[in-house]
Amino acid sequence: MTDEEPGSRLAGADDRIVAGRAIDGDIAAFEVLVRRYTPMMRAYVRRVLGASADVDDVLQEAFVIAWQRLSELEDPAAVKSWLMRIVSRKAMDRVRSRRPQVDIDGIEPPASPDTTPARAAETRAGVEALNAALAELPEAQRQSWVLREIGGLTYEEMAAELAMPVTTVRGLLARARKHIMVRMEEWR
Amino acid sequence: MTEDGRLPLGLEPDDLDGHTIEELTDYLDAGRTPADASIDASPGCALALDAMERLRALTPALMASDEAAEPAPEPGWIQSILSGIAMDARSGRRIPLADPDDGSDLAITEGAVRGLIRAAENVFPGILIGRCRLDGDVTVRGAEIGVEVDVSVPFGEPIVQLAERLRSEIAVRLARHTRLAVTGIDITVHDISTWTEDKR
Repeated sequence: MTDEEPGSRLAGADDRIVAGRAIDGDIAAFEVLVRRYTPMMRAYVRRVLGASADVDDVLQEAFVIAWQRLSELEDPAAVKSWLMRIVSRKAMDRVRSRRPQVDIDGIEPPASPDTTPARAAETRAGVEALNAALAELPEAQRQSWVLREIGGLTYEEMAAELAMPVTTVRGLLARARKHIMVRMEEWR
Repeated sequence: MTEDGRLPLGLEPDDLDGHTIEELTDYLDAGRTPADASIDASPGCALALDAMERLRALTPALMASDEAAEPAPEPGWIQSILSGIAMDARSGRRIPLADPDDGSDLAITEGAVRGLIRAAENVFPGILIGRCRLDGDVTVRGAEIGVEVDVSVPFGEPIVQLAERLRSEIAVRLARHTRLAVTGIDITVHDISTWTEDKR
């Protein structure tokens, strides 16, 4: 796409370099970002939306917005959290638009990631327990926990995305945390 | 379901010497500073804070496991994104090339000049150029322009000499292809770390 770079070197460069070039309009660099962060963003959106065919559409919209707004990214090294904020917003647009048709209790829990590579057995068991605890949460609680703990959103950003007062968001989060901690304790 | 049974880990104010989960979360988020004697002295709070920290430690592992379960993005899908974005979105300012009095209207875009600067990296194996800024009013012919370039240098290379040679290379290219009155080329080498495909 660009004439100067075989791309493989860029694929090994850190975010500051890659995002810096993308800010400057280098499409090959933007492609590296798409490749680099699609799995993480997909996994995150799946956690927010539950099992959903919309995941790839949400990512696509997020990347288009990201390209348009790259010049607003002050610190290229922070591109990862910046992308997470954009995709959070796009995912929550989806939640809002489908909310009326959705049976909140009927949402399928996220697919359990059973292809976990070998790692400490305790961590794996802990991840499975956390996964199970999350799957038990009502949708709004799960979303608030995921937006905060995985997406890294502030309470104010979450309030805007969830269209709720900050106090309500904090209440949802507290309930989510309590539920998860109790379940994790039982597992221990 | 927690309200009736007394669990060893209590998360209600009665179990937390009057504190709430919200308070404890904020306390943890603030790095337990300033120290709160009433929280620190409470065995119930200590239990809850431990549980919170264990959960926090596990969250990145959950994400890593989710991410590892995702297939690599398909080339066709990536292409559909790239073809959907406006290629000229970041062409930047229009930089005049010709003399004002010869009547022609030749110009180059800022984006093209950045491409020109980036291409200088090809002369130096391992060097990668990141962001480039042209400081000054490039749309006015003869205006003084400072160039700032972000660079990564391979580990073990002599940074000062490499930066000097890269600076000359960029200067030559700019002089050959533009009429910019470049007053200086600042090269910033931040670090030499590379991004690796995860600790999967």
